[in-house]
Amino acid sequence: CKDLDDYDNLNPKAATTVPAVSLVSNAQRVLANTINTPDYNINPFRFYVQHWAATTYPDESQFVIETRSINRFFWDPLYRDVLSDLNEGKKLVTADAVLDPKVKANQLAAIEVLEVYAWSVLVNTFGDIPYTEALNADNVLPKFDDDAAIFADLTTRLDKAIGMFDASASGLGTGDLYYNGNVANWLKFANSLKLRLGMTLADVDAAKAKTMVEAAAPNVITSNAENAKITYLSALPNRNQLYESLVQSGRSDFVGASTLIDPMLATNDPRLPIYFKPVAGSSNFKGGTAGTPNSATNNSTPGAALENPTLPGMLLTYSEVEFLLAEAVERGFAVAGTAEAHYNAAVTASITEWGGSAADAATYLEKSAVAYNTAAGDWKQKIGTQKWIALYSQPTQAWTEWRRLDAPNLVKPAAAISEIPLRLPYPTTEANLNTTNYAAAASAMGGDVVTSRIFWDKL
Amino acid sequence: QDKRISGRVIDAASNQGLPGVTVLVKGTSTGTATDTEGNYALDVPATGTLVFSFIGYTTQELPIGASTTINVTLASDTRQLNEVVVTALGVERTRNSLPYAATQVEGADVTKARNPNFVNSLAGKVSGVNIKQNNNLGGSTNVVIRGTKSLYGNNQALFVVDGVPISNANTNTSDQYTGRGGYDYGNVGADVNPDDIASVSVLKGAAATALYGSRASNGVILITTKKGRKGNVNVTLNTGATMGFVDKSTFVKYQDKYGAGYGAYYGPNEDEYFQQYNRPGFQPGLYVPFTEDASYGAAFDPNLLVYQWNSLDPTSPTYAQKTPWTAAKNGPSYFLRDAVGFNNNVTIDGGSETGTFKLGYTNTSDKGILPNSKINKNMVNFAGALNLTPKLTTSANINFTKIDGLGRYGTGYDSWNPMQQFRQWFQTNVDLKELKDAYNRNQQNITWNPRSATDLRPIYSDNPYWVRYENYENDERYHYFGNIMATYKFTDWFNVMGRVTLDSYDELQEERNAVGSTGTAFYSRYNRTSREANYDLIANFDKNITEDFSFKGLLGANYRRQMINTIFAQTNGGLVVPRIYSLSNSVNPLNPPFETDQRWGVDGYFASATFGYKELAFLDLTARRDQSSTLPKGNNIYYYPSVAGSFVFSELYKDSPWLSYGKVRVNYAEVGSDAPVYSIYNVYGKQDQEINSSTRPSVGSYGSIPLFSLTNTRNNPNLKPERTKSFEAGLEMSFLTNRVGFDVTYYKASTVDQIIPIQVSTTSGFNFAYVNSGEVENKGFEVTAFVNPIKNDNFSWTLNANWTRNRNQVISLAEGTENLVISTYQGGVSSNATKGRPFGMLRGTGYVYNANGEKVVGSNGLYLQSPSTTEIADPNPSWIGGISNTLEYKGLSLYFLLDVRHGGQLFNLDTYYGYGTGMYPETAGNNDLGNPSRTPVGEGGGIIFDGVKEDGTRNDIRIDNTEGVYGYNQPRQMHVYDAGFIKLREATLTYSLPANVISRLKPFKGVDFSLTGRNLWIIKKHVPYADPEDNLGSGNYGQGYMSGSYPTTRNIGVNLRFRF
Repeated sequence: CKDLDDYDNLNPKAATTVPAVSLVSNAQRVLANTINTPDYNINPFRFYVQHWAATTYPDESQFVIETRSINRFFWDPLYRDVLSDLNEGKKLVTADAVLDPKVKANQLAAIEVLEVYAWSVLVNTFGDIPYTEALNADNVLPKFDDDAAIFADLTTRLDKAIGMFDASASGLGTGDLYYNGNVANWLKFANSLKLRLGMTLADVDAAKAKTMVEAAAPNVITSNAENAKITYLSALPNRNQLYESLVQSGRSDFVGASTLIDPMLATNDPRLPIYFKPVAGSSNFKGGTAGTPNSATNNSTPGAALENPTLPGMLLTYSEVEFLLAEAVERGFAVAGTAEAHYNAAVTASITEWGGSAADAATYLEKSAVAYNTAAGDWKQKIGTQKWIALYSQPTQAWTEWRRLDAPNLVKPAAAISEIPLRLPYPTTEANLNTTNYAAAASAMGGDVVTSRIFWDKL
Repeated sequence: QDKRISGRVIDAASNQGLPGVTVLVKGTSTGTATDTEGNYALDVPATGTLVFSFIGYTTQELPIGASTTINVTLASDTRQLNEVVVTALGVERTRNSLPYAATQVEGADVTKARNPNFVNSLAGKVSGVNIKQNNNLGGSTNVVIRGTKSLYGNNQALFVVDGVPISNANTNTSDQYTGRGGYDYGNVGADVNPDDIASVSVLKGAAATALYGSRASNGVILITTKKGRKGNVNVTLNTGATMGFVDKSTFVKYQDKYGAGYGAYYGPNEDEYFQQYNRPGFQPGLYVPFTEDASYGAAFDPNLLVYQWNSLDPTSPTYAQKTPWTAAKNGPSYFLRDAVGFNNNVTIDGGSETGTFKLGYTNTSDKGILPNSKINKNMVNFAGALNLTPKLTTSANINFTKIDGLGRYGTGYDSWNPMQQFRQWFQTNVDLKELKDAYNRNQQNITWNPRSATDLRPIYSDNPYWVRYENYENDERYHYFGNIMATYKFTDWFNVMGRVTLDSYDELQEERNAVGSTGTAFYSRYNRTSREANYDLIANFDKNITEDFSFKGLLGANYRRQMINTIFAQTNGGLVVPRIYSLSNSVNPLNPPFETDQRWGVDGYFASATFGYKELAFLDLTARRDQSSTLPKGNNIYYYPSVAGSFVFSELYKDSPWLSYGKVRVNYAEVGSDAPVYSIYNVYGKQDQEINSSTRPSVGSYGSIPLFSLTNTRNNPNLKPERTKSFEAGLEMSFLTNRVGFDVTYYKASTVDQIIPIQVSTTSGFNFAYVNSGEVENKGFEVTAFVNPIKNDNFSWTLNANWTRNRNQVISLAEGTENLVISTYQGGVSSNATKGRPFGMLRGTGYVYNANGEKVVGSNGLYLQSPSTTEIADPNPSWIGGISNTLEYKGLSLYFLLDVRHGGQLFNLDTYYGYGTGMYPETAGNNDLGNPSRTPVGEGGGIIFDGVKEDGTRNDIRIDNTEGVYGYNQPRQMHVYDAGFIKLREATLTYSLPANVISRLKPFKGVDFSLTGRNLWIIKKHVPYADPEDNLGSGNYGQGYMSGSYPTTRNIGVNLRFRF
């Protein structure tokens, strides 16, 4: 028989060296899927912002989280796949001795931007999280860091990354699922992310917010063509996650919530027939009630556009950038243009992004409930409401913006088991596996409950 | 000087010649066996002792005297104390000399109840062995000896058949064993032909198994097959049939008062519970809420006519007709049929002075209780031995088993398990006969659960007949195992044996989801090849040092080489042409198949010595050195010793009138285990590691862009072997000429430096990391006892009992770790290993208790829930035991076995959902006011849960009895049940034709007729509507978790046995 020394104990079916960018590609895929999927096992935020309501099984729309360990299935892929693979990719790129230094800098800068993006999603969702001691396989009991401190470090890292891009050299190349290696667009994405993070701080650190926003504003995304997005493929398993939940599953779990459909009906929003289907057998749109079971046949279900397997998944759009700029003007930050102009550009960008025309947008913007001058409420209300509509297929960001702007005014469903969550509790696995650090973080957050606030959510 | 002695050995009971008796010159390996008539002849030295031994009979020793004829009468040894026991490496020893616990079960006891799976037939018969079988046709059986030792290892006992270690692994997916769905393909160990088994020895502690090395830390089940006998050709024929009837106490009883729906939310125009549609060709009317897979809907009313699911199918006789709103005539029990099994076996054996042979063939065919389920086994066995010269003997033993499975039952929580709809999500108005007709009309998936009144495609549940006839699996396994060996006898006291063994199987599993089912249609195939070869060279010494001091020893080497090779491929995105199950029929291009290729080896060297002083005292010493390729070089050589002694104190009191036998034994041993293959070096994954699941396709690339990811488990280059240290002490005594006796063993084993992929915080970048850490301790008592209250020529009564109590405790885990999550399940429940606690504790939300231990109810009238990290159930039984009775009257024998499990708990997902969806009677009874509890509170209905309010006063909050309140809206602890049971496991009535009748039936040497019963009666249990023993399958996962459980069948069979 074979000599024992001839067994190398190495898996012949697995690689020990791989192209660095292939790890980044995987991180990009998982990041886009996680933040935008409608899978109620992973991402319940469409229920939280009341874009959608549930049909037969309303638990998740009543904010039941633990039964399906939703918090864990949101947390795990971001750490284990997105951040861990980015971290590994960064190590491999850094160690690559033959890579052109400029290309290497562009690749490392892009990885850094993606890391900052992913970390900010985690902070915005959970608050204090393992950060400085995370992603170290030799330390399986990392301490949790203060959410504000993490955020501060992220802004520093983002600035450093922005300084590293050089559009004259290539970047991640064809393995880049977001920009196909276009470094100029990465620079715009990085600045737009800086604009977003800066504005996130506005209520807690206005001065820093102002500095960040003003520095970023001239270099942000300027058209839908520059949106940070993943283009899904028509074949499994790289279809848009919406397709998988709405079509492929054969289930019928979601209807539009009246909270969203009613105001869109009232303003004859051109996005309404795109966002939703008419009630079966009619041309009417009708929303279900958030937080209760609803009939799938008597209400509007998500629109045909969402059933397109190649519908892109958005990470940061031109529309969001314009909303941020409008807000910047209102907050007195020195950015070009008026709040109204930015608001109009934002709404227009959203409508055209969904296939509407500029004329549709103009008509819509004339409605008194929409027009910046006449729409109800203060600027937060106006911008918040339209941004909430525009972020229809970006549930994670929609939830963050709703918490930050406190608009629109969403009412907790009667059958809900809690207030509308302001954060997700930590996964039970953390409580079980990293018990001491978990307990300290829970206490620092004011309790590991959905009503504890992220540091920037002061108002 | 040698002389020749001959004689005849006869059975004391029948006065017939006893074939196959071993005749040995004591202290040598000179010997022979008796022929079919019981005759023998042997060349012997002038002086010495002849030893006559035969399994199941008392061994006799007679001095070689002047006579050349020695006739012997052997008495059957019901007390089983001086019998010969097969021990590690196949060494036969008298029970007298055995310094550790070993239980031997005779082949006849294994086959008595005609269980097609011999593993299951050990249940309740052997102390220290916890056998947990499930009700799945051909499903796997969990066999754990002396408790769970390894936190993440499989803990299954090693099976050794005639020196061939055979795998008892199951090839189920992680989805299957964590209750997420999939099929239970059974353990490979079940491929052994029960009719071929001569005896089964169960070696429990490390001292008994240390010679087997790494793999024996979980105990060994040693199977010796029947061998050919010298003399005339013998033919044995067995033929039997079994019917299985569903035990109604293990299936759902449905409430018959309310039908489909989750509640009253369709408005007054639609009678709250129903919907209205305007459809051409349909009169206006109420429609049942088809999509709602619950029974919290409108109260039944035969005068109310509504459109039901069977009004929608244009080919239905009730198309476009409203039908009365009543409970179904034929509930889901209509779906279950009687199980039928056939079993035929023929064995031919014979031999001459120079050799023996045996040829056996068995066919079993079993149809399960689900439609379209069937398992066929064909087993062929050949064993031959040839003495080439007086010094050189050779033998070979080859087994070939082919298993064909069709339509195994789906398990756990998915659409392939019809119990998911029948026990968790169902409408009590749905008639199964109508569903059967609906499927049979057009072979379409016409379900009770369509998407809407106009879209008949299924939303959550398929028509169960469609599932069984269209979404079936099929599988086949070709299993070969056997050995060839040669022994060369250098002298009387020294021989060398060389042996090569092979265990090899090839398996194909094909699964499918037909076009038109819930979920994406697919076809998948999984091919698995497993090979294990062992090369043994063993030198045996057997020499008396003096007349009183005996010595036996062996020196050996064992090289083991293993390989497992798998490939899994699945269609992508659906099937183009319905009912064509081929990879090329994929809608989207295939994702790459998932391959594994595992190869590893272990080299072992071992030695053992047994010293005996008269028949009074024995000392065993063993040592083994293993080197494994799966451990890092430098850490891959490990040693383990054992020392064991026994003292037969009854030898000192030979004249005692009451003490027949007494022995104390004590031993200590260590055994080690190596690491799983490929757990040393880190690699990148091209695909998700666990893809054997329809919901998680492999992701290896994004179009043409390659994707790589770090694997979920971090490997460890510093692993060292895991060790089990075990201590055991025992006392065996029998009294009153062996009419009554007992055997008590105390053991304590601790397994340290466990090689475990501990679950770690994913913030480390990994889900799991391999470490050497943790200690698990098992200690307990095993007792066996027997009594022969009556024994005379015509009538005897024997009662055997065994009792086992194991206490398991996790002593430590990785540093800083208080708890490991072994597995998480649907329903928010997890299995855990917690420091200081028994292994496998289930966690989930529990009740909140006040200081007086009363359950606290919140302001909404539901029980308050503690955090989901609360321990809610301990799956470990507090003791297990069995009592068997054998009553014999002339040729008639009645045997029955009670199998008892006391304590242990389980979480029941079936009632957690099923009570929540209102299909069980508990959810539709009357309340404390005598009114129907489903009536709204305002009208005198509603329920008050027993407990106290947060202010300490008795709960008086009356709440509506709506969906969820008895189930998923409450603490998980509400669905924890005591899993104990008392079962009438086996009962047989056998009649053997008397010898005087046989002698007139010329060709026959024996005719036995038996009536057999298995699982006839669950005498006591605490889990409602289910068999507490039914579980997901074998392994560490899923213990104490019930989901989509199958009912028990009461099996009644007849068997005829002819010997020619």
